[in-house]
Amino acid sequence: MGPKPRLTPASLRKELFATPLDGLVTVLLVTGLAAAGSRLLHWALAQADWAVIQANSTLFAVGRYPIEQQWRLWLLVALLAAAAGLSWGVLRSRPLPDRPITALWPGNDRLATGILVLLASWAPAALGLTLSIQSRWWALTGLLVLVRWLAGRYGSRLGKTATLALPLVWPLLYLVGMVLIGGGLGLVTVGANEWGGLLLTLVEASFAILLSAPLGVLLALGRRSSLPLLRWGSIVYIEFIRGAPLITLLFLGQNILGFLLPGGMAPDRIWRAAWILTFFSAAYLAEAVRSGLAAVPRGQLEAARSLGLSLPQALAQVVLPQALRIALPATVGQFISLLQDTTLLSLIGLLDLLGTARSVMANPLFLGKSSEVYLTLAVLFWCCCAALGLGSRALERRLNPPSLGR
Amino acid sequence: MTAEPKVAKSPAMIEARGVEKWYPNGFHALRGVDLTVQRGEVVVIMGPSGSGKSTFIRTFNALEEFQKGSITVDGIALNDDLRKIDAIRREVGMVFQQFNLFPHLSVLDNLTLAPVLVRKRSKGEVLNQAMALLERVGIAEQAHKFPGQLSGGQQQRVAIARSLCMEPRILLFDEPTSSLDPEMVREVLEVMQGLAADGMTMVVVTHEVGFARQVADRVVLMADGQVVEEATPERFFDHPQHERSRQFLSQIL
Repeated sequence: MGPKPRLTPASLRKELFATPLDGLVTVLLVTGLAAAGSRLLHWALAQADWAVIQANSTLFAVGRYPIEQQWRLWLLVALLAAAAGLSWGVLRSRPLPDRPITALWPGNDRLATGILVLLASWAPAALGLTLSIQSRWWALTGLLVLVRWLAGRYGSRLGKTATLALPLVWPLLYLVGMVLIGGGLGLVTVGANEWGGLLLTLVEASFAILLSAPLGVLLALGRRSSLPLLRWGSIVYIEFIRGAPLITLLFLGQNILGFLLPGGMAPDRIWRAAWILTFFSAAYLAEAVRSGLAAVPRGQLEAARSLGLSLPQALAQVVLPQALRIALPATVGQFISLLQDTTLLSLIGLLDLLGTARSVMANPLFLGKSSEVYLTLAVLFWCCCAALGLGSRALERRLNPPSLGR
Repeated sequence: MTAEPKVAKSPAMIEARGVEKWYPNGFHALRGVDLTVQRGEVVVIMGPSGSGKSTFIRTFNALEEFQKGSITVDGIALNDDLRKIDAIRREVGMVFQQFNLFPHLSVLDNLTLAPVLVRKRSKGEVLNQAMALLERVGIAEQAHKFPGQLSGGQQQRVAIARSLCMEPRILLFDEPTSSLDPEMVREVLEVMQGLAADGMTMVVVTHEVGFARQVADRVVLMADGQVVEEATPERFFDHPQHERSRQFLSQIL
């Protein structure tokens, strides 16, 4: 990567007004954008009635999760904030293979922290939350920034094993989270039918993401296997799933799983949907991973085998690390669309984010407030997807082996 | 026809008899190839492209299957038994035209991966050996870089060191200098020459006449999936016996 061209008035003029036609296009686009932007802003600030969001913020966040058990969710969010700060800081404290550490807080990090702090001080107040809840959000943001600072400052002292074990924090946290959300181990059980809103959306999406990743890798390997049964099994599975719309699979899952499995064995409606999402996403992931496998030169496997590595060893140590790095952008793309596909759950009657929104809009008190609700939903989804995309790009840069060209 | 082998110990390191290979599309790539390589011998295989020379040496470590004939490597018969294939691959090192270093691992990790995983040796012990080998091929100072940061010649020397780190009994070279820039060919050939001087058994597919003349005990010319001529370098280059050999030499000399 060469140095970024700096934006100066002169370079801007050259970029935007090189020819009369360029100038015309620039003027038209800027006027159009400004007009649309100012009308949206005017609507959002003066005309829109955000009471619908303020009144239902808890419903949007966690659905009908019992109030007296909500401390468990706060604890989980705190753990998530700490884990995020830890991963962020430790990543920053490690030099890239070809680049030394420049600063504890590089420019991007200062920007991100600034946005976080702004968001934490504005959003809870705008939602009209009580002061005690507002202060919780401030504390959480403080926790994240503090852990980020500590990890960035002292992360380089961690041993190699500790650094390699660090990503395991996330699956571990997932298990802890499931216990905190659902209960068990001494905690009161909160049935899945009481989860809702953003909580349900994130539970379904993260479950499907975590499980479909290994399943997709296995299917991709199966599709390239030399064993005919395995190969054809994988091909039939992938092509069948990819040939059917998700919504039909979701309906099928709700109705057929109940018939297929003996009484009581069929999982709860919410878990049925989570499994269908997993199986659906795995088929698409398999294709992303397969393209990664195809991009690894044949010689890599041959070199590994000629050194005496068994096929599983050669795949695990040589082929898959390269294939998965190549497949990473497509994989994250699939995760992002999976997150958005969870909105289909509202069509089978689950109260995910969209389902909750529809139930709120059906309330006579909030008739005609759908623009406010949909805009809020869009912003929420955009934030989740942007986070996934940012994370994947950072990971990609770190996984790229250095080469002469850079 | 065969020259006197340098070390006449039995059994031979490689014993190939009547090896025949058909590709699935029906192409008859090897048409009954015989070759014996004694311990400590350096055999250079030459021939026009498509003559089956690469395919032939790739059958020695089962990267290519063959349908007829027999191959014995260091006393182990090569057949479909997977455990025997793994045993042979541990003893047979291979250096490829495209280097095939693992780009996601550092130079040092490229060397230590197989000895630790396959031979179950301790990492510390292998690290010492790996550094010594990098020293020997003249790139110890690059040990912590990644393959993509090295020149082609350096990469190929790392590939040779990687093979040596498994302590193989025989090294196969599949056109090791063909994808190198001319100024880097020499550094690789010098390393190979050093190996030969140390008594390593080597089978080398190459077009480097100078190397063949200086280092080889025997030169084998293959064409159309068959061995056409097998002779000492002096006889082969100065007095080729077959019309096909003369034709080939006139093209490359």
